[in-house]
Amino acid sequence: MKEPSLGEFEELVLLTVAAQHDEAYGVSILESLEDQLGKKLNISAIHVALKRMDDKGFVKSRFGGITSDRGGRRKKFYIITALGKRKLDQQYALRTRIYNQIPKISFG
Amino acid sequence: MKKIAPPKFALDFLRWYCREDYIEEIEGDLTELFENQLASAPKKANWTFFWLVLRHFRPDFIKPISIPNLFIHQAMFKNHFKIAWRHIFKKKLYSFINITGLGVGMACCILILLYVKHELSYDQYHTNLHSIYRVLHAYKSQGEKGKPTNPEDYQVWGSAPVGPALIKDFPEVESYFRFTSPSNWLFEYEDKRFQEDNIVFADSNAFEMFSWKMIAGDPATALDEPYSIVLTEKVAKKFFGEEDPIGKTLREGETAIKVTGVMENVPANSHFTFDGLVSMSTFRDFRPGIFDSWGYVDFYTYFILQENASIANLKSKTSEFVDRYTGDWEDSDYEITFEPMADAYLHSEAARQPGETGSIANLTIFSSVALFILLIACINFINLSTSRSLERAKEVGIRKVVGARRYTLIGQFLSEFILLSLFAAALAMVLVVLLSPVLQDISGKPISYKSLLVWENLPIATGVILLIGLLAGSYPALLLSRFQPTKVLKGAFKSSGGGIALRKGLVVFQFSLSIALMVGTAVVFSQLQYLRNHDLGFDQEQMVIVDFAWDSEVKRQMDAIKQTYLSNPDVVSIASSRAVPGGFLPNAGTYIEAPDGTKTMYSPTIYEIDQDFISNYKIELAAGRSFSRDFPMDSAQALMINEAAAKMWGYSNPEDIVGKEFDQWGKSGTVIGVVKDFNYKSLHKSVEPLSLRYDPRSLRKFSIKINSKDIPKTIAELEKTWDELVPHRPFLYSFLDDSFNKQYQADNRFGQIFGVFACIAILIACLGLFGLTAYTTSQRTKEIGIRKVLGASVGNIVALLSIGFLKLFFIALLIAIPLSWYVMTRWLEGFAYQVGLRVELFALAGIGTLSIALLTISWQSIKAALANPVKSLKSE
Repeated sequence: MKEPSLGEFEELVLLTVAAQHDEAYGVSILESLEDQLGKKLNISAIHVALKRMDDKGFVKSRFGGITSDRGGRRKKFYIITALGKRKLDQQYALRTRIYNQIPKISFG
Repeated sequence: MKKIAPPKFALDFLRWYCREDYIEEIEGDLTELFENQLASAPKKANWTFFWLVLRHFRPDFIKPISIPNLFIHQAMFKNHFKIAWRHIFKKKLYSFINITGLGVGMACCILILLYVKHELSYDQYHTNLHSIYRVLHAYKSQGEKGKPTNPEDYQVWGSAPVGPALIKDFPEVESYFRFTSPSNWLFEYEDKRFQEDNIVFADSNAFEMFSWKMIAGDPATALDEPYSIVLTEKVAKKFFGEEDPIGKTLREGETAIKVTGVMENVPANSHFTFDGLVSMSTFRDFRPGIFDSWGYVDFYTYFILQENASIANLKSKTSEFVDRYTGDWEDSDYEITFEPMADAYLHSEAARQPGETGSIANLTIFSSVALFILLIACINFINLSTSRSLERAKEVGIRKVVGARRYTLIGQFLSEFILLSLFAAALAMVLVVLLSPVLQDISGKPISYKSLLVWENLPIATGVILLIGLLAGSYPALLLSRFQPTKVLKGAFKSSGGGIALRKGLVVFQFSLSIALMVGTAVVFSQLQYLRNHDLGFDQEQMVIVDFAWDSEVKRQMDAIKQTYLSNPDVVSIASSRAVPGGFLPNAGTYIEAPDGTKTMYSPTIYEIDQDFISNYKIELAAGRSFSRDFPMDSAQALMINEAAAKMWGYSNPEDIVGKEFDQWGKSGTVIGVVKDFNYKSLHKSVEPLSLRYDPRSLRKFSIKINSKDIPKTIAELEKTWDELVPHRPFLYSFLDDSFNKQYQADNRFGQIFGVFACIAILIACLGLFGLTAYTTSQRTKEIGIRKVLGASVGNIVALLSIGFLKLFFIALLIAIPLSWYVMTRWLEGFAYQVGLRVELFALAGIGTLSIALLTISWQSIKAALANPVKSLKSE
């Protein structure tokens, strides 16, 4: 079976999920990414990315405890799976390999 | 601190579309963002939230459409259908009552709908219908000058020059069309003769204005030439058979007329019809003078109004228009107005219509009665279903225990009722097919059920069936589905509880309607009976009318013909006149010296008669003398009037007007006699002022009073004599009482239809009552058994079972009597001679309905009372 692919935005979200290990949920991912990228994002894009990666098996999720915040709704925490981690590693390796092929040119 | 929640509608929307497994996360995240934003930018928070909800509205998060559910529904429907089917066949009597009642009700509605549709279809086939108007004329005498003109003061019949003048004065009038009232023609073709009495003169643009189809000949030019005629198909066939009629010559006396066209028969749904059109130029050739005479009345004028032109604007200019042409009329006043042709059949109040008119009031009455009948049938349905709800209670309980929800139960019962209504509709269709000939007979209109059989009606029919099923079934369905399983299954649920008051109310309603309809029928029929037996003031028994259509030969031989007929022993007397009672009479401007010596003009109707007319009809004299052969100058200088006319001129004693001078239509002389008022027109109107003059030239019909035991033999003898005396003219006879009573044809029809309705309403109401008593007695069999064991008699028990109903009946009576009294008083206002609403009529209707109802009840109650108590008590 062909291994599922990882889109660019998905990759960013997946990186954030991995970085916030076991504490990543919709709003925290949104805030972190907005911080990192320095621009506004829409939460729906993050939800879509999370849902698709869930379907592809890159992340798994669990519900947190009930609080009085969030209209009584529980947080859904995401955690990266082994498959997801391997995919990130592959992407990282790929990028690094290609990056290393860049001749040492000075733009100075 | 109370938290501010996100906007509810956005939240509801989200919850509605979002998948169950995502709602928790998405709603939570969105709410958290909302709360965050509330701290920083509270004003925008609501909008942002809504915007985010919208952004989530995408396939990833939308609930899947639950396809598997449909299969469950289908299975459920199947089950509902099966249960309904079984139930219908298990309870045959109730199903029969429900289906029959509903079916008959529906059939009534459909038949009436057909009738109403036909009445509304009048003239709709004309493509120009909405731009055609007609001229209405009001001719007022001096005395009426300046008084406001009521819609019924106008008449459609008017003069010839109006049309051309309209075209000349008003650019918005595009074209006009005139036709005359029908005249009699005795056509000869080769050796055959045909008497046609519905041929009119018509302007040549007939086919441009009206959408009649020409079969042969050129519609644009067929009526141009003088002495040309366009025949309808049926007449052409009668005259020429299979020959080609175009170019053939018909002869009428000395005149030769060429057939220039054949048109399709005028559709039955036209407000005027004719059998042939003779070119107007022919009439102009006959009588050129009248085409410029504003006072000669014999034309119906129609015109086309240009698009964008306003009829109201045109109407506002009529008074100056008529002043321009008739302003010099000294002793009378003339007004015109316009009426859309679309209103001609149902909405016109004007007099002297070119054809028969319908009555929008009758249509409303019939439609509402048909609806009432359907309502009564629906009420049966509701009554029977609610009263039998106990039987279904256990079923409902078990279904609920097994897990049925209320709405599925409602669905189940509704589908059962809709199935019943489907059966009823099938029955209704059969009834409609069987009964449409009867409807044709009663209404006298060519109405066929076939017009219903088009595909477009299928969705309507489905809709109506569903609607009636829902209408009749929704209350029982709601009631049945409300049962609580614990109560029902424990057996604590004894009576059907709710709905008793409603059921009683509905029975009262049903019987109020039935009684009211009965009263209506009784009043209509007694009024018709009254009209038939009313003393008209003249002798109408055994009066044979022979029409010779002003034949000059007959007029020349008048006295010889009379003498020959009088020699027949069966002939009592004979007279001739222009019209006979019941027929149409014109009005004539008449001057008679008033008590103060001045000559005053009024327009009484004018009756042209001969010297024998008064004695032949046994009309009594109030004063003076009758026309007589002893006074040879009577034809030139004498006038007779009736008492009403004498009063109009201001003479309370008829003796006083005798001998006064008069002036009328070119004659002058003295009033020689006054006749007592006789009803020369229908009894809808009281006797109007009348003048009678002896005018040998205007005579048209013989009135032969016979005294015969064998009328057919006498008629044969009269015909034989006629053929000897006047071989060139067919013997066309009728009986006066027949033709006089024809004036009440519409009333007769009304009575018949009303009677049929009343019978059906009572039938259906009784069906319901029968079902209801059958049910209540079956509920009380044990009680009846015990009562019998304890010594109650059959009478006691029947009384016990009927007394509750009697109470309802009297309440119904209290409602029905004022209702029907009010409605029938209004109906009777249309007659000048009224039978009066006597107590007997109400008693008759009440007792009639009561006895039918009691009979219905007793069938069941006597059966129950006679039953052996052992049978009902041994089981338990």
